[in-house]
Amino acid sequence: MTKFVIKRLMLSVVILFFVSMIIYGIMRCMPTSYVEQQAMTLSQKPGAKSYQEWLDQLNAAYGLDSGVVQGYFTWASQAVRGEFGDSWYFNQPVVAKFSSVIWYSFALAVLAFILEIAVAIPAGIAAAKKQYSVTDYTITVIALIGISLPSFFFATILKYVFAIKLGWFDLYGIVGRNHLQLSTVEQILDMAYHMVLPVITLTVVGIGSLMRYTRTNMLEVLNSDYIRTARAKGVSERRVVNHHAFRNTLIPIVTLLGGTLPGLFSGAMITETLFQIPGIGYTSYQCVIQGDIPFVMFYMLFSAVLILSGNLIADILYAVVDPRVRVN
Amino acid sequence: MENENREQMKLDDAARVRVLSPGMMVAKRFLRNRLAITGIVIIICMFLFAFIGAIITPYTESQVFYRTEQMRKDYAGAVALDEFQMFTAEGAEVPSDIGSKMLIGIGKQEYVFETRDGSLIGLAKLSDSTYMIYGAERIKDAKLMMSEECKAAAAAGRNWFESSGKTYLVEGEGIRGSLYATTELAIASKVSVTAYDASTAFSFDFYKGALTAMSLGETSFAADGGNYTIEQEGEGSAMVHTADGANYAYVSNMNINSFIGGVFLTPDFKELLIENISSGSESFEYTDEEGVTDTYMISEKNGQYTVKRYQTTRVIDTYASPSKEHPLGTDANGMDMLTRLMYGGRISLLIGFVVVAIELFLGVLFGGVAGFFGGWVDTLLMRFVDVIYCIPSMPLYLILGSIMDYYKVSPTVRIYMLCVVIGLIGWVGIARIVRGQILSLREQEFMTAAEATGISVSRRIFKHLVPNVIPQLVVFASMEVGGVILTESTLSFLGLGIKYPAASWGSILNAVNDSYVMTNYLFVWIPAGFMMLFTVLAFNFIGDGLRDAFDPKMKR
Repeated sequence: MTKFVIKRLMLSVVILFFVSMIIYGIMRCMPTSYVEQQAMTLSQKPGAKSYQEWLDQLNAAYGLDSGVVQGYFTWASQAVRGEFGDSWYFNQPVVAKFSSVIWYSFALAVLAFILEIAVAIPAGIAAAKKQYSVTDYTITVIALIGISLPSFFFATILKYVFAIKLGWFDLYGIVGRNHLQLSTVEQILDMAYHMVLPVITLTVVGIGSLMRYTRTNMLEVLNSDYIRTARAKGVSERRVVNHHAFRNTLIPIVTLLGGTLPGLFSGAMITETLFQIPGIGYTSYQCVIQGDIPFVMFYMLFSAVLILSGNLIADILYAVVDPRVRVN
Repeated sequence: MENENREQMKLDDAARVRVLSPGMMVAKRFLRNRLAITGIVIIICMFLFAFIGAIITPYTESQVFYRTEQMRKDYAGAVALDEFQMFTAEGAEVPSDIGSKMLIGIGKQEYVFETRDGSLIGLAKLSDSTYMIYGAERIKDAKLMMSEECKAAAAAGRNWFESSGKTYLVEGEGIRGSLYATTELAIASKVSVTAYDASTAFSFDFYKGALTAMSLGETSFAADGGNYTIEQEGEGSAMVHTADGANYAYVSNMNINSFIGGVFLTPDFKELLIENISSGSESFEYTDEEGVTDTYMISEKNGQYTVKRYQTTRVIDTYASPSKEHPLGTDANGMDMLTRLMYGGRISLLIGFVVVAIELFLGVLFGGVAGFFGGWVDTLLMRFVDVIYCIPSMPLYLILGSIMDYYKVSPTVRIYMLCVVIGLIGWVGIARIVRGQILSLREQEFMTAAEATGISVSRRIFKHLVPNVIPQLVVFASMEVGGVILTESTLSFLGLGIKYPAASWGSILNAVNDSYVMTNYLFVWIPAGFMMLFTVLAFNFIGDGLRDAFDPKMKR
């Protein structure tokens, strides 16, 4: 098992090496004039560094003045040490900006994640218990609608109904107007209040796949021989479903959910942007639009690491659950 | 239904023992699935809507509509003249500082003065507001000084007289006075002269005749060999008629200008306007040459009179509410929403299919090769797939979008670029499916048999192995089309995908970024959103139905 984990870890490092190379390559593909123009625009903002300072920093960080290979290693060696330079748009170190916004995204994602699990797993099991019943069809259709719903459209509808027509929530932002006058507890409640609509959006959009995954796995388990045996023994249907079937269904579900854990940090670009939640998604969206190369490079690398670690966790969990995987 | 038929059939009835081919079985199971049929119907409707609808619709993709609007617009301005207007004689040059020198001279009642360039200028006072301007030359002519004309002028308080066809200026009286011979330079008066006919140009002779006659209170004058009569119309304005009684020119102490280029204000209009200004009324009606009667409103500010009238202007018909011509209204650019939706549907559907085609091609190629050969080829290709899989797609699309923005890539090229990029990132899922299936299939007996017959490797992969993966591929592809449509619309929604004037459902929905539009113009974003939802949903229904149909184990 240890050998398997080490092998996968090494593989992940190799993949990360190539992914980062591609990301660096994309950055190098940007026309020089584009980079310079962005630096020029940003340097003209009040309080920003001078144009030359930006360019020098860029050259130092990305080795733009040297060859592609050498430049990559210049950048990679600094990235390994956690030095990603200063964000152009926010005019502060990338890592500092990142650590100040990531927790908004995480809070949003965790809330949505818990809601998804709480709704999707029972619903998926209910659908599987009575395949082709009205319940099953309803849940299938709801799950498919969730998958098919463009998040920006759903978020807009929510905003229209609850923020504009009913006036229950604010249209934008994470804090209310009088946030600073509130006590600490009230401040937290204020933020939670502003997260209601984004969390609903994320939950509805993300719930479909988990629901269907649960249903498919539950069906598979319910069709397996040991369930038939249990039924033949005369075990009550409730016990068959809740003990024999559910526990076996949990194995692939937990594996899947384990793989999505790192994704909780990746931020929801569209939803955060629409509700202007200052998380990593909204921040990086602003940076992409503004051509903030240091931050975007960091975000790309960060996302790649998240995807990789998600795969890694899923792989290891599969190996834990199913020993046959380890042999191959 | 089948149960009812069964009772009437014999055991060896052909219909009863008929065995369906696997494909027919799949089709039958698929057609029984109500959700899948709903999906098929929606997709067919969408295709008809997007492709046939766009042909039928009377409008084009980026046709802009206009509406006419009544707007109160400035029509003309009138101001009482309190400065001298110069009417210069043909060929004469007036010194540049004549205006100020003249005012000083009039103020001091010194009618002969020297200008900056040293020339001597003399004024002949015709009335308080009308002066003839002469180039003066001092002469000594005692006889002329003592002539009857000179004495008559002095008696009448004039500083000028005419003698044997020439005009002379006098300064002072008797022997101590000075006498000046003159050449005509200009006539200055606080009036404006408008021709009755836009093409008429007045000669200096006419100006001189008319202004002189007016200020001396005469009712007729001769100029350019014609005779004219003057009809005084109230204070400071007069109509000049030709000898045959036709209106020829209008003289007034108001300067009236049109605010609209190319519009000639007729003397009739000016006359009416001055009448109304002096009577203090705020609006009047006037019928122009084309017989159109409009109401004109007069407003006054610091002695400036502004005439306004309601005018019909053509403006772009933005955010028009749904109507007979535009069933879904118009968007921010005044384009028909329904037509935009049709063309947007075309692009969204096309992108979905093209991208999935690219993904299928790459995925089957890489997955097939990797699965068939196994070993180091498999390892290498799958690690490559892993690398592609790890590239964060959304930030990448956004970066490419903003680089395309920077290069000002044309909307059509953007569509192709978008297809290629999404396809190049998205094929890895298909490659994994194909490889996984082929890994297990290649160990089966039929592949050993195929190898034994000695057919080529590429035939074995693509003729014998890949067709066995088709069920999974079809299911994946139909769901992937929906996914790609979502990706594309998300990009367009963020403003980095399809760009104006090309339309896609996502870019139509982009309008909600303006919360005023979101609140007030539901017809702009609701239809596009539901089109998108239904299309993607339909593809998912179909994919789901196909999965059930292909996989009978899942059936009870």
